[in-house]
Amino acid sequence: MSLACEAVAFSYEEAREKLTALRDVTFSVPAGGSLALLGASGAGKSTLLQVVKGLDEVESGAVLLDGLAPGHSGYALARRQTGLVFQSAELQLFAASAREDVAFGPRRLGWDEARVAEAVDEALDLVGLPPALFAERHPYALSGGERRRLALAGVLAMKPRLLLLDEPFVSLDPRTRQDLVMVLERLRASGVTVVLATHDIDLAWALCDEHLVLERGEVAAAGAWDFGPSGGLLAGGRLREPFLVQLWRRLGRDAASAPRTVAAAAEALA
Amino acid sequence: MRAAIAQYYPGTSVIHRLDPRAKFVAVSALGVALFVRTSFLALGLYAAAALVAYLLSGVPAVWFWRAFRPLLWLVGLTFVFQVLFAPGEAFFSLGPIHLSWQGIQTAAYLTLRLVVLVLAGSVLTLTTPPIALTDGLAWLGRPLRRLKVPTDELALMVTIALRFIPTLLVELETIMRAQRARGADFSSGGLLTRARALVPVLVPLFVLSFRRADDLAMAMEARCYRPGVVRTRLHPLRARAADALLLALTAGVIVAGTLL
Amino acid sequence: MSDVRADTPNAVGPVLSVAGLQFRYPGAVDDALAGLDLRVAAGEFVALVGANGSGKSTLARILGGLERPGGAAHAAACGHDLLTEAGRLAARRDVGVLFQDPENQLVAQCVEEDVAFGLENLAWPTARIRERVDGMLARFWLTELRRREPHLLSGGQKQRTALAGVLAVPRRVLVLDEPTAMLDPAGRREVLEAVDGLRHEGLAVVYVTQEMDEAAGADRVVALERGVVTYDGPVRGLFGDHERLRRLGLGLPPAGELALALGERGRELPGPPLTLDELVLGLEQVG
Repeated sequence: MSLACEAVAFSYEEAREKLTALRDVTFSVPAGGSLALLGASGAGKSTLLQVVKGLDEVESGAVLLDGLAPGHSGYALARRQTGLVFQSAELQLFAASAREDVAFGPRRLGWDEARVAEAVDEALDLVGLPPALFAERHPYALSGGERRRLALAGVLAMKPRLLLLDEPFVSLDPRTRQDLVMVLERLRASGVTVVLATHDIDLAWALCDEHLVLERGEVAAAGAWDFGPSGGLLAGGRLREPFLVQLWRRLGRDAASAPRTVAAAAEALA
Repeated sequence: MRAAIAQYYPGTSVIHRLDPRAKFVAVSALGVALFVRTSFLALGLYAAAALVAYLLSGVPAVWFWRAFRPLLWLVGLTFVFQVLFAPGEAFFSLGPIHLSWQGIQTAAYLTLRLVVLVLAGSVLTLTTPPIALTDGLAWLGRPLRRLKVPTDELALMVTIALRFIPTLLVELETIMRAQRARGADFSSGGLLTRARALVPVLVPLFVLSFRRADDLAMAMEARCYRPGVVRTRLHPLRARAADALLLALTAGVIVAGTLL
Repeated sequence: MSDVRADTPNAVGPVLSVAGLQFRYPGAVDDALAGLDLRVAAGEFVALVGANGSGKSTLARILGGLERPGGAAHAAACGHDLLTEAGRLAARRDVGVLFQDPENQLVAQCVEEDVAFGLENLAWPTARIRERVDGMLARFWLTELRRREPHLLSGGQKQRTALAGVLAVPRRVLVLDEPTAMLDPAGRREVLEAVDGLRHEGLAVVYVTQEMDEAAGADRVVALERGVVTYDGPVRGLFGDHERLRRLGLGLPPAGELALALGERGRELPGPPLTLDELVLGLEQVG
């Protein structure tokens, strides 16, 4: 599913003051593509993801899902096929068992129990929580990394075509982080469009074709990764370049063709 | 997100700088006198005293309105009820309804009392930081310790609860959004449907709160907290001459009211 | 201003000393700590690394006198016996512990009140509390935030506030249990800078982490695996052991990961490198 935002603006009230969270945000992601959403805390990344998902309505502008505008008859379906994983897993989980929690979304979609059961097992397998071992476990008895996987499974079970992730790697132990990267790679390979809000520029480089930098609610840079010839940092110096890009530059190689992953870099240098 | 409870408006007025214990006693005494006295002049005097205190505090009037507005329906209902059904010589009757001057007078008194009570209470909460208020109440409640009531620990509990209210509100909103993102619906359906939709929202909130309580207890112990041990304060309560003056003035106003 | 207490009985000798430390959570199948030995000298900066489930958080709490050990041949913190209730209570005074979750450590309504909390618990006179709090606020760059409410603070600010509150009580040992795990990069930098500023003051530091780059500057690193110590020595020594690193599942900085991957492909780099510069140097030398 492709995603496009056209001049999206959003503000909200806090302490009786109107605060503009998003201003004139325009960008697009092709179907099956991937976008890294970058920016400091408070820049508006979470707000943008929630607006795209439809939890908040835009003040002006439009969010186009698969090229469809909000008035279109297919828009509601497209919204249901958009999944959003929040940063805190603890706030997403609530059921008595992992299976019940993951089944919540599919049930709300109106699927029959057979289809729900299948979706649940598939999702648990995909995130690395084999149903045989984890289905009956209580969500809050799981470790931090397992809870993060479970929260992701709950969204994946709904078979989203567009997946929005809000800082999925924060507070994760290194092992789970690596596993999660592999899960996202697999999802991308199966054609799911991914928008990933993250602070980790190296993971963004590994997983995403394009990037969008938000600064105080406005777009500071967008599009394909491009590294200036002078070795400048992204977005006018506000973000550091991915490690592998810096390394390629230092070795006198073409920065733009730097490998995306450490494994690929090792292959190239061995 | 601002919690409406214990709303504090920072300032440096003479009212702000008064000891919370003195303010609490003054407001409580005035409140009692308000409902005991029936003379209109007395009520007017008490109202004037509360108004003067509010004006001295320097807090904009709109804050009082925010405190009072939720009670408007209660006050209005009471007023109408008194006017329509209170006993007294009726000048107009229709079935159970009878309008009398006495009824209107009673209604006016009640309304005035409620307004002044909220006004006086607002002066207290708007000019006193919650932590100072709880410290003050803990001090006033000290005699209860003889009855084995753990007043200092209760005061600390209240302080901690107040500290976490904004955090809990944000978490509550996030929980609801996360469930909405998976298709939950909190806005449609009858009362029972909506109530049932809230159960999955309360579960993570409770679990998180229990975990938080565990973590906090450990963090507090790591900083040498022990219940029952006497604690000193960074900002201890210090009664000054101004506080004695406040109490004296309040007593004077109340007594004057009994003579009017 | 010194954060270190000099007026305690064991001013010389190890500040932390445990042997055969054992602990099991109720209802658990295995021991969380299964006969652990550890000694930390005064003023030492020790990194404690291990994967989830290795027992490192449990150890942190026990060293702080906050958890009762299952058993030990010997367990002492600053001369206090951790096997007795009285010893543990006394240990809480000398050993400070900073936890992972910044939110669940702040109890007061504003920053300065929270920093004062520990001293209020110890019944210090108000004037001394005020002086000490002012010093802590300045030290951790919190002075302008002193009246700010906790929910309006960023993660890094909250954690600095918690740290200031822990150290407001003069300590001999500071244990930090993965203090940056829940922070964004900016917050992480703030906390690491604050911790760095504690070095060389006579305060012993035990820094629990899963990230090797945070362990890199330590005097010595102790690795935990399933409740026992499997390595206790210089950081570089641990880093050179690729198999152990993989097994420990620790997070390496990109330079380290790449060096590890190159080693697996037959190209060993000296060092091992932890930064871009070190990596480039290593590649140029060998290559």
